[in-house]
Amino acid sequence: MKKLLFFAAIVLLSACQNQTEKTEMPVSDNPFFEEWDTPFEVPPFNEIKNEHYMPAFKKGMEENLAEIDAIANNAEAPTFANTIEEMERSGKLLTKVQGVFYNLAGSNTNPKLQELQRELSPLLSAHRDKIILNEALFNRVETIWQARENLDLTNEQRKLLEDRRKSFVRSGALLNKEQKAQITEINSKISELTTAFGQNLLAETNGFEIILDKADLDGLSDGTIAAAAETAAQKMEKAETEDEKTKYQDKYVFTPHRSSMYPFLTESNRRDLREKLYKAYVQRGDNDNKTDNKKIAAKIAKLRAERAQIMGYETYAHFVLEERMLKTPTEVYNLLMQLWRPALERAKVEVTDMQAIVDAEGHDFEIAAWDWWQYSEKVRKAKYDLDEAALKPYLSLDNVLNGVFETTNKLWGLTFTELFDINTYHPDARVWEVKDKDGSHLGIFIGDYFTRSNKRGGAWMSSFKGQSNLDGKERPVVVNVCNFPAPVGDDPSLLSFENVTTLFHEFGHAMHGILTNVTYSSMAGTSGPRDFTEFPAQILEHWASEPEILKSFATHYKTGEVIPDALIDKLLKASKFNQGFANTEYLAASLLDMDWHTIKAEEELKDTDAFEEASLSKIGLIDEIAPRYRSTYFAHIFAGGYAAGYYSYVHSAVLDSDGFEAFKEAGDVFNPELAAKLRTHVYEKGSTEEAMELYKQFRGREPKIDALLKVRGLDGSTD
Amino acid sequence: MLLCVSFEVFSHNPDELIILEIEQEQLAFQDQQMTDEYKAALKRQRMRKLAAMPWQERFWLFIKAGVQHIIPKGLDHILFVLGLFFSSLIFRSLLWQVTAFTLAHTITLALAALDVVQVPSTIVEPFIALSIVWIAVENCIFKKTNKWRPLIVFGFGLLHGLGFAAVLGEYGLPKGSFVPSLVAFNIGVELGQLLVLITAAVLVWFVRNKSWYRQWIQIPASIMIALFGLFWFIERVFL
Repeated sequence: MKKLLFFAAIVLLSACQNQTEKTEMPVSDNPFFEEWDTPFEVPPFNEIKNEHYMPAFKKGMEENLAEIDAIANNAEAPTFANTIEEMERSGKLLTKVQGVFYNLAGSNTNPKLQELQRELSPLLSAHRDKIILNEALFNRVETIWQARENLDLTNEQRKLLEDRRKSFVRSGALLNKEQKAQITEINSKISELTTAFGQNLLAETNGFEIILDKADLDGLSDGTIAAAAETAAQKMEKAETEDEKTKYQDKYVFTPHRSSMYPFLTESNRRDLREKLYKAYVQRGDNDNKTDNKKIAAKIAKLRAERAQIMGYETYAHFVLEERMLKTPTEVYNLLMQLWRPALERAKVEVTDMQAIVDAEGHDFEIAAWDWWQYSEKVRKAKYDLDEAALKPYLSLDNVLNGVFETTNKLWGLTFTELFDINTYHPDARVWEVKDKDGSHLGIFIGDYFTRSNKRGGAWMSSFKGQSNLDGKERPVVVNVCNFPAPVGDDPSLLSFENVTTLFHEFGHAMHGILTNVTYSSMAGTSGPRDFTEFPAQILEHWASEPEILKSFATHYKTGEVIPDALIDKLLKASKFNQGFANTEYLAASLLDMDWHTIKAEEELKDTDAFEEASLSKIGLIDEIAPRYRSTYFAHIFAGGYAAGYYSYVHSAVLDSDGFEAFKEAGDVFNPELAAKLRTHVYEKGSTEEAMELYKQFRGREPKIDALLKVRGLDGSTD
Repeated sequence: MLLCVSFEVFSHNPDELIILEIEQEQLAFQDQQMTDEYKAALKRQRMRKLAAMPWQERFWLFIKAGVQHIIPKGLDHILFVLGLFFSSLIFRSLLWQVTAFTLAHTITLALAALDVVQVPSTIVEPFIALSIVWIAVENCIFKKTNKWRPLIVFGFGLLHGLGFAAVLGEYGLPKGSFVPSLVAFNIGVELGQLLVLITAAVLVWFVRNKSWYRQWIQIPASIMIALFGLFWFIERVFL
C-alpha cells in the first residue's frame, strides 16, 4: 500500500504507524565500549554504526599499547605468566572491533567502510610495529625463552613462547643497530613498491576494454551479453564528458577482469577478439608505460633477498618457509616437480583433444592460448556431457546444508540448531548453535550464502570471536560467506556442484574454527601455517562427492527423487576434466614464485621478462598455456602475502587427498577411529604443535602425493 | 579462502583486498538494487522463521498479519468498508453487502494465492481506487441502496481480494502450511474489517436517527471517501 502525504490526517491510524520508528537506539553510545550481553556474545550488529569503528579502533590501539607498556616495564622479573600470558590478554577491544569491522567490510560493506579500510591499514601497521619493535618487551620474552628448559611449561605454552619469540626475531629483534636500520629502510622501500605494484596493476586492468557492437557478439550467451551491457552502462554513468558517454551508448564492454574475460573466451566465436582480450590480459604490467611492473617486481624480489640475507637466511624463500610445513625450498621444488611432469603430459593430451575438434570443424588453425576456454568447453560437452542444469534441482541450498551438517554429525556427533532471535548484520545471514555429541555448546556458526551487491566476490571463512580457555571458557563465533545465487521467486536457491564443493570447503574452515580447543586464543582454530590451514577445509570437500553422502542429501526439490546414479557417475568423471590445464598453469605460477624468491642478495637486478622466460622454458611450459599469473600481474606474491607461498594450495591438496585416502583404505568414510583422530589432532589443535606433527598423529605417517594424482586424473588413468 | 582476520594481538593483513580489487573490480553500490536485495532477504528470513514455528504460533501470526493489512496498512480497504457503512444503516442491507464483499475477496485471495489467477497490480490497484469512488458516489445519489448493490459489491470484492493477495504475496506464505496460513490471514482481514465497522457504528450510534444524519454525516463522509478514492486513482495511474 502506498503511503500518502495526508496519511497523518487520519488520527486513528497514525498512532500505530509511527511506533516502529521510535524504538531506535541512541547512537551516542559506542557499543564496542560495552560488554556484550547478547546471546553467545554475538556482536550487537543492530547497534553498530559506521561512526563507531574509528573511535573504537583508536581507543583499542591506545589501550593495547598501554597494556604492552605495562608488561614491558613491569618491575617484577619476567615470567611466562606476567609476560606471555599477559600479552595474550592484551588488546581485547582492538580484537573485538577488528573482528566486526573486517568481516563486514567484506560481506556487507558500504563506501564509508571501504574508506575506513584504506585509512586503517597504515594505522594498524604502525601499531603493529610499535609492539613488535618494543625492545623492552622483547628482552623480557628473550629472558623467558633462554630459561625455557628450566620452566615448567606445558607443550602448548612452550609452543606459544617459541612463536612469540620468533615473531620478534623475524622482525629483526636480534640484529644490531646498523642492521636494524637497514631492515627498516628495506621494509619501507618494499612497502612502497608493493603498493605501487598493486596500483599499477589495478590501473592496467581497468585501463583496457574492448567495446563491441551487437554484430560482434556472435556465440555469447544472454547472461554474458547482459553483463557486458551492464558494464557499458556503468562506464557510461561514470563518464565525465559527453563524447565519452556516447562511446558506450548501446555498446557491450569486456575487460581483463576474470569475471568479464572468462565468459567471453569461452563463448565468443570471434577468434580475433578472443586473441585481443587475452593478449591484453597477459600483457598487464608489461607494456613499457608509466604503469609497467617489470622493474618493480624485480626490485621487490631483490630487496627481499637482501633482507633475508641480513636476517641470516640464504634466500627469502628460506626465510618464509621456516614457518611453514614444508621447511625448505628444496622440499617445495620437489613437491612441485613431482606434480609438474604428469600435469604437463596431461595438458598436452588436452591440446590434442582440442585440436581434433578444431580440425573436425574444418578450421585451419592451431590451438592457441586464447582458444583454450572455448575448445575445452567443447571437449567437456563431447566427452563428459554433464548437464549442470539437470544437476542443480537436486542441490538446493537447504539440502546441501543438511548434507554438510549430517556429515559432521556422522563424523563427530555434532548437532546444529538454527537460532532465529539473534541479530545479524543482514537478513540473509543465518545463525546456528553448534553442539557437541554430549550436548555441550561448541560455538556459533553464521552462514551468509547469497550473493549481493555490497558483498565481495568469492567465498571465505572468518571469525567474529575467537576461542580461548585462558580465563574461563570462551567459545567462538565463526562465519562462512559465499556468493551463491539468491533464490528466484518461490524456488529455493539451487547450487552448482562447484558451489557445493565451496560450501563444504568453507564449512571445513568453520569446523576448524569451532572445534578448536586451546588455551591461548592466538593459537586457536585457523592460526596455523598457510600450507596447512587449507587442509581441514579441503578434506571436507571429499565427503561432498561421496556417492553415499550425495544420495543422502541430494533430492530433487520438487519431486523428492534421489539423485540418480548415472548423474553421479557423470559428475565424478567430469571432475577430472581440464585438470592438465588447471594444474599446469597453477604449477607454473608456483614455480615462478619460488624462482623469484630463491635469488640471492648478491645477484644483479633481474630483467623480468628474461627471468620469467628462463624460468618457464626450464620446465618446458607449452605455448598454449601461460602461468596462472605472469610476474607483472602476480599480485599474490608482489602485492600480497603469498611470496614463496603460492605453492601452499597444492600442498594442502596433497594433504587432503592423502588424508581422505585413509578413510577410503579403512573402507568407511565415517570410520569412527579416524574421525576421532582427525578431530583431536587437526581440528582441535589450532597451531599448538608443528603442523607436520599434527598430520602425522592423524595419519600415522608423512603425506604422499599418490592420492592427489589419482583424484586429479594425473595418474595416467584418464582417457 | 580464508580471510586473514587474525586474533593475534597485532596483525591484520589487508592483502586480500588488494588482490580482490584487481581480480574483481570495485563494488558498484547501486541503491535501488541494494534495497530490493534487502527486501527479498527480509522475506526469506521471515519465511525461515515461520517454517520453524509451531503451527499455533504461525496461525496466530497470520491472523495478526491479516488484521494489520487492514489496520493500519490497508487504508483503501478501510475506506471501502466505510463506504459500505455509509450506504445504509439498515442492519440487513449492510449485512448483505459485507457478506458479499467478504465472500468475493476470499475467493480471489485464495485463487491468486494459489496462483490460479494472476492480474498485475497496475490494473488491480487503480480499479480498487475506482471502486471506492463508485460506492461513495452511489451513497450520495441514492437515498436507499438499490437491490443490485450486493452484486456490485461482490464484483468489487473480487478486486479487493486480488489486492490482498498482492500484499500477502509480498509478505509470503510458508510452503509447508500454505492453506492454514491463508485461512488465518483471511480471518485476520475479516477481523480488521469488523473492527472498522464496529468503530464506525459506535461513533455514529447516537446521531444515526437524526434528521440531519444524511445531510451532515452520510453525504459529507461519502464525498470525502470519494475524493480519497479519486486521488488514489490519479496517483496509481498517472503518478
